[in-house]
Amino acid sequence: MPELDRRDFLKQATRALLSISGLLGLGGLARFFYFQTEPPSQSVFDLGPATAYAVGTRTLLPDVPAVLIHNENGFSALSLVCTHLGCTVESEASELVCPCHGSLFDEQGNVVRGPASKPLPTLQIETTAEGNLQLFLT
Amino acid sequence: MRPNFFHHLHPPTIPAQQSRWRYTLGAGGTAVFLLFVLAITGMLEMFYYTPTPEQAALSVQTISYHVPLGGLVRNTHYWSAQLLMIVMAAHLIRVVMTGAYRSPRRFNYLLGLVLFVAVVLLNFTGYILRWDQGIQWALVVGTNLLKTIPVAGDALYVMLIGGSQPGPATLIRFYAWHIFGLGLLVVILTGWHIFRVRRDGGIAVPPPRLREDDARITRFELVQREVLAMILITAILFILAIFFPAPIDAPIEQLTTMANDASAPWFFLWVQQMLKWGDPFVWGIVVPLVVMLILALIPYVLPQAQDAELGRWFPKSNRLARLVLIGISLLVIVLTLLALLPGS
Ligand code: HEM
Ligand code: FES
Repeated sequence: MPELDRRDFLKQATRALLSISGLLGLGGLARFFYFQTEPPSQSVFDLGPATAYAVGTRTLLPDVPAVLIHNENGFSALSLVCTHLGCTVESEASELVCPCHGSLFDEQGNVVRGPASKPLPTLQIETTAEGNLQLFLT
Repeated sequence: MRPNFFHHLHPPTIPAQQSRWRYTLGAGGTAVFLLFVLAITGMLEMFYYTPTPEQAALSVQTISYHVPLGGLVRNTHYWSAQLLMIVMAAHLIRVVMTGAYRSPRRFNYLLGLVLFVAVVLLNFTGYILRWDQGIQWALVVGTNLLKTIPVAGDALYVMLIGGSQPGPATLIRFYAWHIFGLGLLVVILTGWHIFRVRRDGGIAVPPPRLREDDARITRFELVQREVLAMILITAILFILAIFFPAPIDAPIEQLTTMANDASAPWFFLWVQQMLKWGDPFVWGIVVPLVVMLILALIPYVLPQAQDAELGRWFPKSNRLARLVLIGISLLVIVLTLLALLPGS
């Protein structure tokens, strides 16, 4: 290693100090911005009495957003949040289409046409002791 | 009188070549003027705009429909922002098409590019401030794009929106970025950029011994031209503001409910079109960054204009750089048109 003279040493030291302070500042800024003032989003939805949803119906739950499906196998729910970039897919027709970049899903949520690459997730449904339906977003 | 910043930008005389409309298009100067208009009209809007999810869109409606001259203020702010994007693009094109970016102006070219990005972000954050049903999906898609970045994505998402989904914290953050963070950055960069223009010897022309045209104009004539441009732009802004009001829709009730309009703001339509092709990280983040990187490298890796070729359009020696820019411009234009096609 070549010897450093006093000037070079001071210069290097100044640089190092400045870089370290810069990095510390950036880290501090990141921590400052990382704080979350929003409460976490709602993850349990009360859907009321199970008897309100007849067998063979599909019910739109716009707040979740999801469709509640009641068939011979019981209750299930399909998320309507597009797996591409999160727009809400339109559920009027039997196929579900996303308005943002045109992803197409079938009734079970499988991808028919991209850009989305993952199927729409199914959400957990439980029935409480009083016979009410609860939906869990996880 | 002691020389001030005005004198720095307006020396007693300058080569006539440097101030011809057909050479500079007056685009840089027009951009400065538009920024000035944006600052004034934006400050006026601040007296009524309320940055909360319930109130934002309503307060914008109040400005537009109830406050005397409020509509004029808001529409002028809106149209200056859109014109700035176009004027800035024209300025970039002229700088590349005239080869003016070569050293010693490389650094200023980079400053210009950073300004470009900052102005685009300024426009996007301003658009989000409407918080109406028209911006809903741009907000969802734009912020979710951040999450697709490997490793740092989720953290960046939280740092930008202040929670696990967009809400009041998000709006106040966009407000702070729009008015303070990005606004201040753009003001500082613009000051630096125009200071550098003079530092680098004014607008690029051949050195005196190679100059064919020795005519000069005075400071007074320069200011005359600037005033003329300002009057013209003001007239255009008024016409646009009076006949084409800026859009505003009903407030967002719930971020999960479908709104009728799912298109990106016009300057991001090309990105929205690419997102239809697949992987969001690649098409929504990598490709736009690569485009910026190519632009940034133009003065460093491609052949540059010769001394004698400066001060006019299409110098032979920087042909490749011009082709690259034409390629990028065509790409953006074609993608935008595709996105506008009905049923795409
Ligand atoms: C808000 C955005 C911008 C403002 C306000 C601005 C302002 C200006 C002004 C007033 C000039 C004097 C010459 C002229 O009017 O053409 C100038 C020159 C210049 N600008 Fe910009 N500019 C902006 C963005 C950009 C961008 C995006 C680039 C390119 C990446 C750029 C690169 C340059 C260069 C290289 C010069 C020197 C040109 C020469 O010497 O001929 N600027 N700018
Ligand atoms: S968000 Fe649904 S296709 Fe992009």
